[in-house]
Amino acid sequence: MTREAAYEKLNEVFRDVFDDEEIAVNDSTTSNDIADWDSLEHINLIAAVEQEFGMKFSMGQVVAMKNVGEMMDIILSQIS
Amino acid sequence: MSFTSFYFLCFYACVLIIYYLIPAKLQWIFLLVSSAAYYLLSGNGILILYPVVACLVAYAGICVMGRTADVKKRRLALVGVVVLLIGCLFLLKYINFGINTVNGIAGLLGFGDIITGFHFMIPLGISFYTFSILGYVIDVYNQIAQPQKNFFKMALYGMYFPVILSGPIIRYREDGEQFFQPHPFEYKRVVFGMQRMLWGFFKTLVISERMNLVVNTVYDNYANYTGVYIWVATICYAFQLYTNFSGGMDIALGMSQTFGIKLPENFETPFFAKTISEYWRRWHITLGVWMKEYVFYPLLRTHAFSELGKRCREKLGKKRGKQVTTFIAMFILWFTVGIWHGGDWKFVIGSGLLHWFYIVMGELLNPVYGRIMRKCHMNGDNGWVNGWRIVRTFLLVNIGFVFFRADSTIAACRMLAGAIHVGNIGMLFDGSLFSMGLDLIEFTIAIASLFILLTVSILQQKEDVRERIARKNIVVRWIIWYALLFYVILLGYYGPGYSAAEFIYQGF
Repeated sequence: MTREAAYEKLNEVFRDVFDDEEIAVNDSTTSNDIADWDSLEHINLIAAVEQEFGMKFSMGQVVAMKNVGEMMDIILSQIS
Repeated sequence: MSFTSFYFLCFYACVLIIYYLIPAKLQWIFLLVSSAAYYLLSGNGILILYPVVACLVAYAGICVMGRTADVKKRRLALVGVVVLLIGCLFLLKYINFGINTVNGIAGLLGFGDIITGFHFMIPLGISFYTFSILGYVIDVYNQIAQPQKNFFKMALYGMYFPVILSGPIIRYREDGEQFFQPHPFEYKRVVFGMQRMLWGFFKTLVISERMNLVVNTVYDNYANYTGVYIWVATICYAFQLYTNFSGGMDIALGMSQTFGIKLPENFETPFFAKTISEYWRRWHITLGVWMKEYVFYPLLRTHAFSELGKRCREKLGKKRGKQVTTFIAMFILWFTVGIWHGGDWKFVIGSGLLHWFYIVMGELLNPVYGRIMRKCHMNGDNGWVNGWRIVRTFLLVNIGFVFFRADSTIAACRMLAGAIHVGNIGMLFDGSLFSMGLDLIEFTIAIASLFILLTVSILQQKEDVRERIARKNIVVRWIIWYALLFYVILLGYYGPGYSAAEFIYQGF
């Protein structure tokens, strides 16, 4: 899967989790850019991403990722 | 040995001078020796065995994790460390909580005490060093921190004297490596560190100790006080606790800065928070981050919670199902936060479950609140609305402080019941205020000091106040810092004839 195609799927997950059809994430998006992205929603987001892409983040990755770009790197490394 | 004692200042001065006189590569070894000496001088010396053994256990665990990629062995090492460290913490701090609760229930059923309590000597700072060490071991297990190969370096991380007694809770993956790097003398850094320590002394010795007198007057004789007296004492306690804890953090962070070691911030003007959730992102920040990373996230990712989430979403719908799962996980989180503060229901309620209740109610009532705002044609970001939110949050937090400070949960409930009667509001104007431990002059000093604190807190939000002062010319700079120094010397509560209260969080 290309990075662009993966981003299309990832954007759908974000829109679904945060109930906002306007959301469009990119490599530099962080939790500061999305109003409801707090620690609770972070875990919900992780679970939704795992389900969508059929992969699993380690606990270390969950707490260490700093932006969506890092999340995407992990997703692509696991599904490719 | 409290940070505000004369002996500690002598100890710190000696450590700082020697630290910069010895070769830089030996600095970390000297800090380890100083940390051990500090712990030995701070209480019963034999209790140093507890943090030493905790470091040894953690070191053994990370050695195993560093040598093998076998998931089962790594997990076994992690479980071993967690069981031993948490087991020790539980045994020393919480066994009597369980016993007292069982005895209390037995008492209600008409039986006497059915289990006898234990009396252990509790090592200083056990909750802080246990969490710092445990967090590191979990990070090594999760492969986001490197396993430390040198036990003595591990021991310095676990026992670093500016933080061991009352935090902040540090994280090896972010703060660890700088402990072992050479730190050549840098004038600005050392001066800035000392300035921050002075600010900490101001908060602790000038404000907190004054507030303490008002708080003790009412809380130690709560049966004699009702209504506004309880309100005044509780608000004073909020400022006492804040200036005591954050002042201690200023001293710890400033001291550490003089050694060239940057520690994480633990406070960010918490009483400016507009919601309870925001308050906890500003108060005792390192505990909140620890709980989130090592309790809340792992809990929500367990199989049991995933299944619970699925069932709740199926039965209650996506939004409500997600909320219910989160609220249950949050209950466990807040219970843990509460009990971390001490093995007593007053802590579990005052610092834990009450805040859980606030957050849950906030989430549930948020749509209603939004509708009211829309009907009243009010803008949510209006200055008055935000002002009201800040006051509301402060008052809610104060209810928790009543539990936190009162002798027991029952005493707290009685005080809250007593606080409802506000017929004595006249005490604010008839001079009775000055019978609560502070006379007119002392009360004026306390208010003036709080005003200075408020002003600096507002300025600090825009820019580091020390940087701002550093840009002024030398005369203005010296006037400001010497004025603060003499303010503390002249108006602080300290000295051989006065026994300054210890840092409140030192007991946790």
